[in-house]
Amino acid sequence: MKRYVYINDDNLAKDIYCDNRISNRKYTILNFLPKNLWEQFSRFMNQYFLLIACLQLWSLITPVNPASTWGPLILIFAVSSSKEAWDDYNRYLLDKKANEKEIWIVRQGIRKLIQAQDICIGNIVWLRENDEVPCDLLLLGTADPQGFCYVETAALDGETDLKTRSIPSACMGIDVDLLHKIKGVIECPSPNKDIRRFDANMRLFPPFLDNDIFPLTIKNTLLQSCYLRNTEWACGVAVYTGNQTKLGMCRGIAEPKLTAVDAMIDKLTGAVFVFQIVVVIVLGIAGNVFKDKQGRKLWYVQYPKEGPWYELLVIPLRFELLCSIMIPISIKVSLDLAKSLYAKFIDWDVEMVDPETGIRSNAANQAISEDLGQVEYILTDKTGTLTENKMIFKRCCISGRFYGNESGDALTAKVGQFHTRHYPKMKKPLYVLLLVCAWFWRIKTEIFLILTSMHLQCNMKYLTLWSSHLTGKECLWWLGNAKAGNFSSCQKEQMKLFFLLPILIVSGQQVRTFAEAVEQYAQMGLRTLCLAWRKLEEDEYQEWTSMFKEANSTLVDRERRVAEVCQRLERDFEILGVAAIEDRLQEGVPETIEILRKAGINFWMLTGDKMSTAIQIALSCNFVSPEPKGQILIIDGKTEDEVCRSLDRVLLTTRITESESKQDVAFVVDGWALEIALKHYRKPFTELAILSRTAICCRVTPSQKAQLVELLKLCDYRTLAIGDGGNDVRMIQQADIGVGISGREGLQAARAADYSIGKFRFLKRLILVHGRYSYNRTAFLSQYSFYKSFLICFIQIFFSFISGVSGTSLFNTVSLMAYNVFYTSVPVLFSVLDKDLSERTVMQHPQILFDCQSGRLLNPSTFAGWFGRSLFHAIVVFVITIHSYAFEKSVMEEVAMVAVSGCIWLQAFVVALETNSFTIFQHLAIWGNLVGFYAINWIVSSIPTSGMYTIMFRLCEQPSYWITMILIVATGMCPVLALKYLRYTYRPSRINLLQQSERLGGPILSSGIIEPKSRSSLDKDIPTDSVYEPLLSESPSATRRSAGPTQRLDSVQSQSPPHSTHTRKDN
Amino acid sequence: MELLNHSRFTQQELPACKPILTPALVMATFIVIGITFIPIGLSHLSASENVVELVDQYDEVCIPADSPDPDVVYSKRIGYIQDETTDKTCIRTLIVPKKMKQPIFVYYQLDQFYQNHRRYVKSRNDEQYRDPSASAKTTNCEPEAQLSEGQPIVPCGLIAWSLFNDTYTLSRNDVALPINKKGIAWESDRTHKFGDNVYSKNFQNRSLIGGGKLIDNIPLNQQEDLLVWMRTAALPNFRKLYGRIETDLEVNEIIKVVIQNNYNTYSFNGKKKLVISTTTWIGGKNDFLGMVYIIVGGVCLLIALVFITVYLIKPRPLGDPSYLSWNKNPASVQ
Repeated sequence: MKRYVYINDDNLAKDIYCDNRISNRKYTILNFLPKNLWEQFSRFMNQYFLLIACLQLWSLITPVNPASTWGPLILIFAVSSSKEAWDDYNRYLLDKKANEKEIWIVRQGIRKLIQAQDICIGNIVWLRENDEVPCDLLLLGTADPQGFCYVETAALDGETDLKTRSIPSACMGIDVDLLHKIKGVIECPSPNKDIRRFDANMRLFPPFLDNDIFPLTIKNTLLQSCYLRNTEWACGVAVYTGNQTKLGMCRGIAEPKLTAVDAMIDKLTGAVFVFQIVVVIVLGIAGNVFKDKQGRKLWYVQYPKEGPWYELLVIPLRFELLCSIMIPISIKVSLDLAKSLYAKFIDWDVEMVDPETGIRSNAANQAISEDLGQVEYILTDKTGTLTENKMIFKRCCISGRFYGNESGDALTAKVGQFHTRHYPKMKKPLYVLLLVCAWFWRIKTEIFLILTSMHLQCNMKYLTLWSSHLTGKECLWWLGNAKAGNFSSCQKEQMKLFFLLPILIVSGQQVRTFAEAVEQYAQMGLRTLCLAWRKLEEDEYQEWTSMFKEANSTLVDRERRVAEVCQRLERDFEILGVAAIEDRLQEGVPETIEILRKAGINFWMLTGDKMSTAIQIALSCNFVSPEPKGQILIIDGKTEDEVCRSLDRVLLTTRITESESKQDVAFVVDGWALEIALKHYRKPFTELAILSRTAICCRVTPSQKAQLVELLKLCDYRTLAIGDGGNDVRMIQQADIGVGISGREGLQAARAADYSIGKFRFLKRLILVHGRYSYNRTAFLSQYSFYKSFLICFIQIFFSFISGVSGTSLFNTVSLMAYNVFYTSVPVLFSVLDKDLSERTVMQHPQILFDCQSGRLLNPSTFAGWFGRSLFHAIVVFVITIHSYAFEKSVMEEVAMVAVSGCIWLQAFVVALETNSFTIFQHLAIWGNLVGFYAINWIVSSIPTSGMYTIMFRLCEQPSYWITMILIVATGMCPVLALKYLRYTYRPSRINLLQQSERLGGPILSSGIIEPKSRSSLDKDIPTDSVYEPLLSESPSATRRSAGPTQRLDSVQSQSPPHSTHTRKDN
Repeated sequence: MELLNHSRFTQQELPACKPILTPALVMATFIVIGITFIPIGLSHLSASENVVELVDQYDEVCIPADSPDPDVVYSKRIGYIQDETTDKTCIRTLIVPKKMKQPIFVYYQLDQFYQNHRRYVKSRNDEQYRDPSASAKTTNCEPEAQLSEGQPIVPCGLIAWSLFNDTYTLSRNDVALPINKKGIAWESDRTHKFGDNVYSKNFQNRSLIGGGKLIDNIPLNQQEDLLVWMRTAALPNFRKLYGRIETDLEVNEIIKVVIQNNYNTYSFNGKKKLVISTTTWIGGKNDFLGMVYIIVGGVCLLIALVFITVYLIKPRPLGDPSYLSWNKNPASVQ
């Protein structure tokens, strides 16, 4: 699909293409309510609550006032709708501002001021310095005589450095006044979202150049939302407008991510729903049976002889409504509140502020903090993520001599002095080349130092001037991936051209030294660069230039054709030398990786670098333990067969070493082999991916990075992708959690990510502290929400057995509503401040993260525990209440309030028992809530018209009320406390152990620090039965998959069973 | 921002108390619970023991039953109780087991009577009972809302309609023992829940007659039997206050009770009992709380004992890092 843009033609384009009105709005005033409601009701939970609320309107079956469901439901909906509406309104205001901005355009040859939204395709738009570009423009003219202008593209790709744009050669030299009258046609692709490509061409009509097609690239465009900088004016023709601009097309609403915890909660909710249906059916049948056997004899109930057709359904539906509280309506609100607080804690954390730049960490996605605590795989980019992305010219090899040592400063001086002396002839091309490369690698200052030390006729001004010229197409073009060192460039200066390319193409005696040098430098983890040159003759250059031009103006497959043309030139080089550049590791990277690996997280490094460099970096980052513990297996090969064989071999070795488990195996694969493996040998590769804790993938493309993430996600692993550059964006978006480093390559990755951090080392705090706490807190919060709902629901169910299975609600509307919304939600909300272990302990024992990864705190078995607890507590509350308030005391309202108070007291103690650290807020919430309960009920009890008039006063006067409360608490909590104590002392979980050692001030030691002697003495005192069982396997928890790293570790650790102690003792 | 940076809240560093379940703490808790609960239980039990309670189930004996076939008995009984013309007087004699000090409470107890049944418990309209101008408001009162001609029934609803109407007349040594029926209802019910100028209208005027009748020219809030009855019970077995005896009863005194056995519990096989009881600080007789207190206290002491024993036999240091699974490296153990 192509689009033809006629420059300066006012009539043609209007009808065909959209105008420049930008709209980011999701709703209009008319469709807001239906659309928003539709969206909210597409979720199961909301549908369920709506159904319940609607059923409650039927007074025949409703046990309580419909307000008890409608109230919270409307509140929840109102809150989320108004949030949406507010966001949309703000978007509308922003759109409006952009749309009504005044812009100079040319109409009928005259400059006019119009609103931005009225710009049409083909209009010529004039911009002044610091203006925002209103739509995608093709540059036609600038104030600069050379045809350059500078733009800031921060809004588009996040990169803050200025980019150079130039006018197409066709428009060179056209007078400013004539630009008003310029006519022509631009052939360009249909609107797309690729902000790096604009494969188009242009033909100008007479009296301008005629019938010559000029190629256009992205370099000739000014894209919407960029700013014109350092250029007095520029003008361009609108090619894409409105929502069809590159920016508009890029915009998309990201799929909301669902955390593992959310998925688990959904699953459990589903299970609860099924359970509820079963209960409803059983009670419904029982109710109908009771009604027929006994109910009709109850003359005072006056059952009609003939019921309506739906009579059989009435009792089940009543029970459905009665049991609807089983699924707590408050859980979503509570969780949302908690999640936004987790995100805020990340934003607020001063320990995650980059000290250099002052950039704070930011949680763009508020909903997935728990997932951080469950990460199993981290896929990381190398450059800029692990490394600083600060290129330092470290070493070089010129004419077979090696220069440079550990410190870069010495190098500068030495090379300079030595080289000027011995190889005066060589110096110029070499340094010019270096300069060219340096420009790409952003090490200007470094090279500049060298140049000045060499007393070259080159000053700062010249350098800057030159580098800005280098961006022009005439002087230089470059292809390929600059990062990978695989690029060629040429520079035209006094009819001389220098070329630069990877050395491996060249052969010959002299090459060997350089090849060795490259190898050697790569082993040091340096980035290598080969410099070679060739002199071109004038005609050869001309011939090649025209070919290049032609290739460059093709619309289809441009990149490949350009590459072909360039290869023609890249031959017969003379090698000048090898330069090695160091990209230093960021501070704290090895430690961070070590800690996270200890925490059971598997690391994959995905890089565009060459294999040896990647391996070297991996070793220095603690990715792989050094030999002999670590083992690196390489998958390579150029053909399918080779890759297959290699893969099989690696897989076999990995299997063996995995079963022995002593070793640390990593596999290395390059992009080519990876392509083949993913295409043809997906199964063995997946198996390898599961088995191997570490992988290094080199020379991979952005899409391969995303594919690998996808592969791991398909195996049901929680993946975290971290990167800093535009090439990581796809991987970041693909992963369960995307973390962007706001680094030197701009903010592109950080913008696409769920979390952005300033430095790689903050990752450990993000995962171990924030992720872990979030997971633990949510696990408690969600299960507790179910516990308290079950508690009250079971009491209702029990009550139905003594109320003729007729579906009477024991509790009144006010109590039910307040119970869910207020009494039980407030105390538990403060569990978001709970810390089971101190941050320091977690950092010292990162292994504790296993518990989160395997979902040990929230899974069906822990849920069953809470279920059992609620059942037990319901029995306790119910039995004690109906026995202590029997006979003359059994007034409905009083019994109900005794039961509710019993629940409130119990839940206060449950929260207190489950809280690990009490801050002032927790005390206030837990005990203040009890006070609040009585205050509210006293207020309600003093309203004469309320059904509860005087009830609470009467109760509080009775000693037996307080005796009952104490009894309920003691009976409910004593077994829980006893069990907890037994577990805590005799079968402690790992968290318990660390809590004990942390809080009793005991020795907090890790395996490395413990002396074997002291340990063996400890062992003797320890009974060898159940106590010594592997603690990891204490609960059937890792339910999410059949084979994962954690379980593997379980089996590994269970090889340290009691008998080992036995044998030693026997000796 | 500065504030945020330095706030202990934002850094999650609020000072916190982090208790752990040390053996001492847990054992102390259990011992304290045991030691306090047993006396409370004992005092509760003794208070319950001090309550003198006379219970007489009269539904079986106050009705003729002369057939071995239960079905025949059933239908005969219903016929008997529903026949308005029969004299349903029934005389019972009770012996006071212990001295009973006044005030002595007279209750009627109904078993298997579902005052908490859903159709029943909702069938009322408090506004109508409270407000004389709202007599036409009979929402929720179906099927006892209005007469077939459309006049509203006051008080409406099944609860009022099924008002308990057995009466007891007590005498001691042929001297009438007065039962004070004033002040048996809650004061709040008399003053707020039921209006003092709401009078019953069209009550029990439908073909189907439920329980007792009301006196049309006495305001509802003075007919305290209704007020007591309308405080629905949460349990199917319940007692409701009938009146108070304001003289002491001596031990072995014989009390003659003349019962008008009007109320139909026979169709659903419910029981009717007359209860004469004193009260103490715990209210009426209730052994349950005292028993459970003693049991819970005893179990807590037992648990504490077991814990102490286990602790002494198998002491286990808390927080020993060598128990951490990642510290249990088989190689280093051997």
